[in-house]
Amino acid sequence: MTESSDTNTDKMGMDLPKRLRVGDPKSAIITIVFGVVGAGLFMLIYSIPMPYTMVSLIKFGLSPALAIIAVVGAIRGPLAGFLSGYLGLIMYDLVFSLTIVSMTLPALSYGVLGLIVGLAAYDFTKGRSLAKLSLMSAIGLVFTALIAVVFGLFVDNHSVLLELGFILLPLFTVGLPSVILFTPIYARLWQVFSSRISII
Amino acid sequence: MFEIIKQNKYVITAFVITIIIGGMTFSNVQVPAIPKGIQTVNSTTFNFADYPALTHEQIAIMNYFNELVTGQAYNTWEGWNAENYHWALQYITAFLSYVFAGVTEVNSGYRSSFYENFAHTQILRMNTTIDEYGNASMEYYEWVSIPGFTDYYYPNATHPDADDVYTGGFRGPANIMWTGHYALMMALYERNFHFGTMTEELTHYIKDWNVSITTDRFGHHKDGGLWGTGLIPCEPYVVFAQCNSIPIYTTELYDNLYETHYMESGMWDYGLDFIEENITDEYGLYTNGYFVQKPVGWGPNSELLPQDIPGQAVDHYVGGPSLSSYATAWAMTFLEYTVPEETIPKYPLFIDLYGRELSGDIMYMLGTYKQPSSFGDIMGILGTVFTMVLANQRGDYTTRDRLLNLLGSMLNKVWSPDGRQMYYDGSPFDAFLSPIFSGFSVWSTIPVTVRNLGDPRPAEFWNYPYISNADDDNIWVYQARWDPVKSGFILNIRVDQTAELVFSNFDDTPTAFSQGISMGDLTPTGSDYSLTLQPGSYQLVIMEGS
Repeated sequence: MTESSDTNTDKMGMDLPKRLRVGDPKSAIITIVFGVVGAGLFMLIYSIPMPYTMVSLIKFGLSPALAIIAVVGAIRGPLAGFLSGYLGLIMYDLVFSLTIVSMTLPALSYGVLGLIVGLAAYDFTKGRSLAKLSLMSAIGLVFTALIAVVFGLFVDNHSVLLELGFILLPLFTVGLPSVILFTPIYARLWQVFSSRISII
Repeated sequence: MFEIIKQNKYVITAFVITIIIGGMTFSNVQVPAIPKGIQTVNSTTFNFADYPALTHEQIAIMNYFNELVTGQAYNTWEGWNAENYHWALQYITAFLSYVFAGVTEVNSGYRSSFYENFAHTQILRMNTTIDEYGNASMEYYEWVSIPGFTDYYYPNATHPDADDVYTGGFRGPANIMWTGHYALMMALYERNFHFGTMTEELTHYIKDWNVSITTDRFGHHKDGGLWGTGLIPCEPYVVFAQCNSIPIYTTELYDNLYETHYMESGMWDYGLDFIEENITDEYGLYTNGYFVQKPVGWGPNSELLPQDIPGQAVDHYVGGPSLSSYATAWAMTFLEYTVPEETIPKYPLFIDLYGRELSGDIMYMLGTYKQPSSFGDIMGILGTVFTMVLANQRGDYTTRDRLLNLLGSMLNKVWSPDGRQMYYDGSPFDAFLSPIFSGFSVWSTIPVTVRNLGDPRPAEFWNYPYISNADDDNIWVYQARWDPVKSGFILNIRVDQTAELVFSNFDDTPTAFSQGISMGDLTPTGSDYSLTLQPGSYQLVIMEGS
């Protein structure tokens, strides 16, 4: 690939605006558009009730929406990834629950997933790079979970039981397999799509 | 081909694992919404969306409860997982009756033995006595097994003379928690089935309460009644707003059913004022109890904080009045019929103070807002489920759904092999949560509220056509009611196996219409008419003289 991989290859030596993919106005607009479109996609997919199975207190299932955040970060860098998660959860909460939770702190933690994934460079045509994408997504989600729990415990004053049982565990048991598995699939599909329609 | 697979090994592997995990966790899927539609019959348009409906899951849960209730002796509790909760059996029996009363009202035109038998059996299960069932009885679990309860007199608890009233009886005058629920179950039974078989016993309790809260029980008028609060204790020494909300609501319903005037006479006025002035916190929200008498057994060596008697129940951990989200939600739900001007303005504040957001789509209620990180005990769970019901009554469906998601998204739905029954499996937390959450999930989502059920059915209702007999085990009745304005019977039904339905009260031969097209006349059987349906889903309009 290509433009994506070429661009990412150059990242190591970039300054911050370029690393965030906002080095020039056009690039900044495209990055923001990616973030907003990603947020919209996240919101739509997140609103679809997904099957799950409880084994004792542990929830197992898949949440394909989380991988949207990661893949947007992988495609367009940390800012777009962050916006996808941050705006996506805010939009979801606003549209479907008419609320903004805890001054958007939970949304901030979701943004961290896209931000972390967007820090590295990937070649979507190579299995090894996609494996790296899975790994970075998993790392990003671990940070998301930990930050969400810290906010819940120390800002919202939730009980430990709730934060561990209803936030941390599901993010690990549902979120981790979702970002590890779905993100490379989305990335590969994006690579196929973008190789036919060159828009960036 | 091989080259493509080779180039995409990782993605294909991820895809295959996704399919495997997805397949292994493919459970708890939402049941599709029931079909509705618009039909025009003889120039009259019937929009099924205009009529209340039950969902497939709600009916499946009621089928689960039906087996638990009618499928065993009145005093046995197989499948309830209540071995450690005998004290709670009367509550779940009573509240489940209110759920079922709402379900019955949704399908007011479906009055086969299915609904009636359930409601009647619940009343019998609530009233198991020591005389008949010994220690495996409601009388024992709820009252006699609690040390000292049968010994009480008022005002001198343990050394009575001629001026003291015996208050240690299971059937009153003090045990409003049982008498209130028992009477309301009977009142709702009469409201929904109109047999008159419960009227005499129901009337006894209404009259007895009236004596307790307006006299000294020696024949003399006394403001505030025997206990001077206008309220009746649950335990012999303490009155609660939530517990008294049940007999207050029952009295309203009784007046409506029998055209009496107990509420107009001011029977509960003193008590309602007492609640607002003495059983509320600084925000006007209901608190958890007011002591009218020193409980026997409490002494100077008690580890509990000082408790003024008489006086508002104290929170022994953090001081101030004892708070409870479940008690407040319960009281607000039932008192809304009588004092909506008091309860409705409190609702937003109640949600603000007790409610906590876990995420955008999940909320829970604190047991007490004084301990914001305390969730995890039974009080928080009860507060959450009772507030679901209150939110549904208030039309705050967003809050209701967010509260419902707390446990609804963390429990497995367990379907019976034949697909007729379903319950939420609460066993990872506590097995008793299974019937509790299953019942509240229905109560909080049906389109008929406690407030709705306080109104009686019009006299002419009992002449409306209705399903009087049916092969209940073969059908799912989502909507069944007579529309008196359009003179048509709405029937939205799924049939698993060939089923016969018998309709009563039609004056003329009725015709069933599907999609506005006649399916033919119903078959006369004596003064009734029968309809036989083959397996499938039907949205029927049944009209006579067509």
